[in-house]
Amino acid sequence: MIVAEQKPLEDIIRMVRPYKKVLLLGCGTCTTVCNAGGETEVAFLHDALRMAEARAGDGRREYSEATLKRQCDPEFLEHLTERVEGVDAVVSLACGTGVQALAERFADLPVFPGVNTSFIGMAVEWGVWDERCAACGDCRLEDTGGICPITRCTKGILNGPCAGPKKGHCEVSPDMECAWILIYRRLERLGQLERMRRYYPPRNFRPISRPRRIVGKAGLEARGSHGDVTA
Amino acid sequence: MNTVAVRARRTPLSEHTIMPPCQVACPLHMDIREYVDLAAQGRLMEAMQVIRSGNPFPSICAYICAHPCEEACRRGQVDKPVAIRALKRFALEFGGDRMIEVEAETTRSERVAVVGSGPAGLACAYYLRKLGYPVTVFEAHSEVGGMLRVGIPRYRLPREVLDVEITRLTKMGVEIRTGTRVVSLDLVFDLGYRAVFLTVGAHQSLRMGIEGEDGAGVVDGATLLRELNLGLTPALGERVAVVGGGNVAMDAARSAVRLGVPQVSVLYRRTRAEMPADPREVEQALEEGIEFQYLVAPVRVRTREGRPEVTCVRMELGEPDQSGRRRPVPIAGSEFTERYDTLVTAIGQAPQVPDDFHVRIGRGSTIQVDPVTLSTNRAGVFAGGDAVTGPSTVVEALAAGRTAAGRIDDYLNHRYPLAPSDSEEEWMGDLRPETVATIRTTGRLEPPVLSREERTAGFAPVELAYDCQTATNEARRCLRCGLGAAIVAPDRCASCLTCVRVCPYHVPYADAEGAIHIPFDQCQACGICVGECPAGVIALRKAGELGQVDEELDHVLGSATRVTSKPMIVGFCCQYGVYGTGTLAGLWRGLKAGVWIVPVRCVTKVETGHLLRAFEMGAEGVFVAGCGEQCARENTGHWMRQRVAKVKRVLAQLGLQPERLEAFMWGENTHDPTEVLDEFAARVGGFYLDSVLLQEVKR
Amino acid sequence: MATSLLEEKLLSGEFVVTTEIGPPKGADVSGVIHHVDLLKDMVDAINVTDHQSSVMRYPSLGACLLIKERGGEPVLQITCRDRNRLALQAEVLFAYSRGIQNILCLTGDSVDVGDHKDAKPVFDLDSVQLLRMIRTMESGVDMAGNQLAGAPKCCIGASVHPEADFMEAQLVKFDKKVEAGAQFFQTQGVFDLAAFRRFMQYASQFDVKILAGFIVLSSAGMARYMNSSVPGITVPQELIDELAAVEKGKGLAKGVEIAARFIRTIREEGLCHGVHIMAVGNESVVPELLAAAELVGVHR
Repeated sequence: MIVAEQKPLEDIIRMVRPYKKVLLLGCGTCTTVCNAGGETEVAFLHDALRMAEARAGDGRREYSEATLKRQCDPEFLEHLTERVEGVDAVVSLACGTGVQALAERFADLPVFPGVNTSFIGMAVEWGVWDERCAACGDCRLEDTGGICPITRCTKGILNGPCAGPKKGHCEVSPDMECAWILIYRRLERLGQLERMRRYYPPRNFRPISRPRRIVGKAGLEARGSHGDVTA
Repeated sequence: MNTVAVRARRTPLSEHTIMPPCQVACPLHMDIREYVDLAAQGRLMEAMQVIRSGNPFPSICAYICAHPCEEACRRGQVDKPVAIRALKRFALEFGGDRMIEVEAETTRSERVAVVGSGPAGLACAYYLRKLGYPVTVFEAHSEVGGMLRVGIPRYRLPREVLDVEITRLTKMGVEIRTGTRVVSLDLVFDLGYRAVFLTVGAHQSLRMGIEGEDGAGVVDGATLLRELNLGLTPALGERVAVVGGGNVAMDAARSAVRLGVPQVSVLYRRTRAEMPADPREVEQALEEGIEFQYLVAPVRVRTREGRPEVTCVRMELGEPDQSGRRRPVPIAGSEFTERYDTLVTAIGQAPQVPDDFHVRIGRGSTIQVDPVTLSTNRAGVFAGGDAVTGPSTVVEALAAGRTAAGRIDDYLNHRYPLAPSDSEEEWMGDLRPETVATIRTTGRLEPPVLSREERTAGFAPVELAYDCQTATNEARRCLRCGLGAAIVAPDRCASCLTCVRVCPYHVPYADAEGAIHIPFDQCQACGICVGECPAGVIALRKAGELGQVDEELDHVLGSATRVTSKPMIVGFCCQYGVYGTGTLAGLWRGLKAGVWIVPVRCVTKVETGHLLRAFEMGAEGVFVAGCGEQCARENTGHWMRQRVAKVKRVLAQLGLQPERLEAFMWGENTHDPTEVLDEFAARVGGFYLDSVLLQEVKR
Repeated sequence: MATSLLEEKLLSGEFVVTTEIGPPKGADVSGVIHHVDLLKDMVDAINVTDHQSSVMRYPSLGACLLIKERGGEPVLQITCRDRNRLALQAEVLFAYSRGIQNILCLTGDSVDVGDHKDAKPVFDLDSVQLLRMIRTMESGVDMAGNQLAGAPKCCIGASVHPEADFMEAQLVKFDKKVEAGAQFFQTQGVFDLAAFRRFMQYASQFDVKILAGFIVLSSAGMARYMNSSVPGITVPQELIDELAAVEKGKGLAKGVEIAARFIRTIREEGLCHGVHIMAVGNESVVPELLAAAELVGVHR
C-alpha cells in the first residue's frame, strides 16, 4: 500500500491562493487506507481551509469535495468530467501518480498535490505506518529472511549491519529496529544463517533507471480499442 | 456560509435500528432503550414522554411490572441487567408524569363496553378512547382497578398512583360504573353497545384438594388480599402459614407481617430456585423475617380448638415437568404436623366466567379466544387479561388491552385483522464472550428501600425512587443494543481496517475476501469507528445520532455569533452522567458570559470538523469535556485527545495557539471542573486580548 | 615485497601504532600540516577521516597527499556514503597514482547524523563490496570488467566493533570483510577490555592484523555525548565517573591517562597487533599519550 501524509496546510493554502473555485479530490484506495486522502480527510481539509480563510478574513473561495475510487486509472477520471466544469484548480489527495493522472487527463486544469507520497508500507497499528518496500525492482527478500535491508536499513547495505545499532535499534532512528539484526535473528530461527554469510555483490540499479514501465501484455497487434488503456 | 456541508457529506442513513432484546421481551414493546438513554442524559421529561407513548399506565408498571425486559437485558451477560423498572419510575416521578393530561375526543358513535376494570380492561378503554370511541367500564367491585386494587398490596402499589391513572382515564371521558356486575352480555348489547371486551380477571383461588381445606382458619390468598385491600382488617392470629411460591403467596405473607403477625411461614413444595415469585420479593420477604420452608406440601388440615392443624409431607425433586421445573415427589413417611392460627392457600387462581356470558371456556376455566383478534366465539365479544391467560402479569394484561382496542377498532370498521409481523430476521443474539470481556463492568445500582422496621410497621411503599445521580449512573449501564454502527456504503469501504483497529470491543472483522463486517448484535454503538473511518462510510443505525452534534453546534453558533461583546468559547460537553444533567451548563452560564455549551451524546461523536467549525465561526477557544471516569468505556478520552491533537496541529499551522483547544476528561486529569475551566477561559481571554492589541497596532 | 610501509610494519610482527587526524572545515590546512609534522615520526601511519560523522570537511584524499608530501605514511579512509562505484574506483586510482596505498574501507555514517541532513545518501556499495572492489581493480579490471591501464596495488583495511550491540551479526560481517581481503582492522573505540578479549579470541583465528582503537576522552560531558549521539559507541559508567571526578580542565589529562592504561594492558597481554589512537580534535595530546602508554620509540 502506498502511504502518504497530508501536506502542511500553509502549503495547500499557498497553492490555491490564486484560484476561486477549488475541487478537493480524495482517493478511495491507498490514501484512504493511510488516512491521508479519503473522504474523511477531504472533509477535514475542507473544514480547515474554510476556517483558515475565516480567520484570515480572506476572500472566500468556493470549495467542493469529491472522492474517486482511484485517481490513478483513466477510466475513473472520466467520472470527473462534469465535476471539474467551472473548477479553477484541483487539490488531489491521491499519491503522486493520481496527481499526474489528473494532470494528464485534464490538460487545462491546474492540479496540486495535497499530500506528500511517502512510501510503500503497512500500518503496524492504528495511525502508525512503516515503510516496507523500496520498489527497487530487484527483490532479494528470499536471501534476507523476508526482511528488506534496502528499505529498513538506513544505509540500505547488503552484507550485514554497520557498527551503529544501539540496543537493537538503528543509529539513525532509535524507534526503528536494526534490519540486519532482525534478519540475523530470523535467518537463525529458520536455520538459514548461511544466506547471511554469503557475499552479496553490489546492487543492480538498472531496474530503477527512470521512468520505469512494466509491459505485462504480449506484444500483439491490438484489434479494436481494448488493447490500450490510453488509446 | 454552508453549514450543512458537514452533514451532507455523510451518507444519509435511514433509521434502521434493530429492536433490542428488552423491547422484544416487553409485551408492550416499549422503547426502553430510548427512555433509558434519555434518563442517562437527564432529559427526564422526554424520557417520560417516550414511556407514556408506549404504555397507558406507566406509573403502575413503574411500581409492579414483572419486567421481562430485565430478564432479556444483555447487560446481564456482562454483570447484571439494567434496573429498567426502577429507572422508569425515576423518569416518571422526576419527569412530572402526574401533571400529564391525556386528551381524547369522541369521533365515533359506536359504544364499547368493557367488563372488568383490571389493567387489561382499563388499557383497552384507554386506547379505544384515544381512537375516539365512547367507552363504559363495568366493575363489579365498589372500587376500580381489578387486581391492581384488590390483589396487589398497597406497599407494592400505592393507591394514589392507581388513582392518578384512573382519574386521568375518566378525564379522557371513559365512563366507569363501579358496583355493577354484568350478568348477561345480551343485556349489554341491548343497551346499545356494539362491542364488548371481557376482562373479568382470575380471582378464584385454586383449591388444594386436601382434607379440611374448608375448615375454620383456612383462607385463600386472593380473598385475604381482597378483604385487606377493600379496607377490612382480617384477624390472623399469631402464627400464619402461607402455602405457595408465587407472587400472591409473597403478597399474602408480607401483608400478614404488616398486619402484625409475629410468625409467618411460607410453605413451598419445591425449592427457592423454582419459586415463580419475583426473586426480589422473596429477598425482601426474608428480610422481613418471613420463614421459608421448602420442599414441603400440606396433605391434611384438621381443625383443633378453632385453629388449623396442618399435616405436611416433605418432598424431593424428581424429573422436570411440562413447565421445565422439576416435579416435587413426596417422601414416604416424612409427614409432620404443625398448628397455626391461620392457613393461607395461594397456589394459584383461575377465572370465573358466568355461564350466562355464553362464551367458550377452555383449559383452566379461561375464556377461549382467537390469539390474533382476541375475539371469542360470540360476535363482537372480545376477551383478554387473566380471564384468557390465567394469572399473569400486569404488563401482559396491558398489552392484551391494547391489542383488544385495536382489534375492536378493526371489527367495528370491518377491517381484516392482520397479525402483527414479528420480524426475526435480525434477532439480537447473545454477546460473544470476547465482547463481554471488553465491556467495563459496573454493578447494578438498586433504588433504596425502606428499612425492615419501617416496612413492617405498615403498608408504606417499600421501594423508594432513585436520586438523580444514582439513576443517571444506572441508566448509563445500558449497552444500547441494536443502535450499533453499520457500513452504509460497502462499495466505498476501502477495507482499511481502521474500524477493526479502533473498536474498543473488537467487534468489526475482515472476512477472507477482505470485506469488513460489523456484527450488529455485538456493537456497543460507541461511535468511535464512525468518526475515524477514513472513507466516511460507517454510520450509527439511529439516524438522529448522526447529525446531533451538527444540529446542536448550528444552534449554539447561531445564537453565539449574534453576541459580539465577549470572546466566544465553545465547549462540547458530554450530555451523559453528572455533567450531562445540566450541572456544567448551569455552572457556566452563571459564571461566564461568552461560554457556549454544545451538549453531545458522548465526546466520541465530536469530530475534527466540529472543532474547526467552531473556530471558523469565530470561537476564540474551544474545549471538549467528557464525562471521564463515569464513561461506559475506558478509552473515550484517548480518541477524543487524538482528534483534539489533530486539530491542534492545524491551529498551529494557521498561526493560532494550539492552547486555544483543550480536552478535559473529568476525574481523569482534573477534579474541579470549575477551576480548570476558569483557567482555560483566562488563557483564551489572554490570547484574545493579544490578538485585538495586535490588530490595533497593525492599524 | 610489501605494498606500503604500513603493510611492512604489519607483517613484521612488531606492535603497530597508528593515529588519525580530522581534516579542517575549510581550505586552511595549516592545522593538518602542524599535526602531521608533530606525529609523522611518532607513529606508523596516520589515518585521515572521510567526513567523519557525516560532517562535510576537507577531503581525506587531500590531507593524505599532504601527509605524503611531508614524509608521513597516510591511511586513506573511504566511505560509501558519498560516492557511487564510479567515484569510488576513481578515488582509488587517484590515490594509488600518488603513492597513497593504505586504504581503510568503511560503509560510513548515515547522513542523518551529520551537518548536511538533506543530502542524498549514496551507499551504492557497502564496506564489504568496497574491499572487493579494490581487490578486483588490483586484478586489472574495473567493476564492470573493463581493462584498466595500470592496476592499483593497495594495503586495505576495514573496521570492526568489538563492543557492538549484537555481536553475532557483526561477526558475520567481520568474516565477510576478511574474506573480501581486508588485511588489517581498526576497531571502533575500545572501552571494555573484557569484550575486546572475547572478540580477539574469535579474531585470532584469521590471518589479519587487529589494531585496537582507542578514543581519547576529554571530559565526562564528551563521554555522555558520545553515548547519546555517536552511533555504536557506549562509554561505560565507571569511566564517565572517573572523568567526572577530576577537577575542571583536567578532563583531557584524565582521558589520556585512561587511554594509556588500556594500551599498556593490551600490549602487556599481547592481545592484538597494535593500536589506533583517535584523539578526536585533540591530536596534540597524542605524543603525551604515547609517552604515557610507553610507546615512544616503539615505532619504526
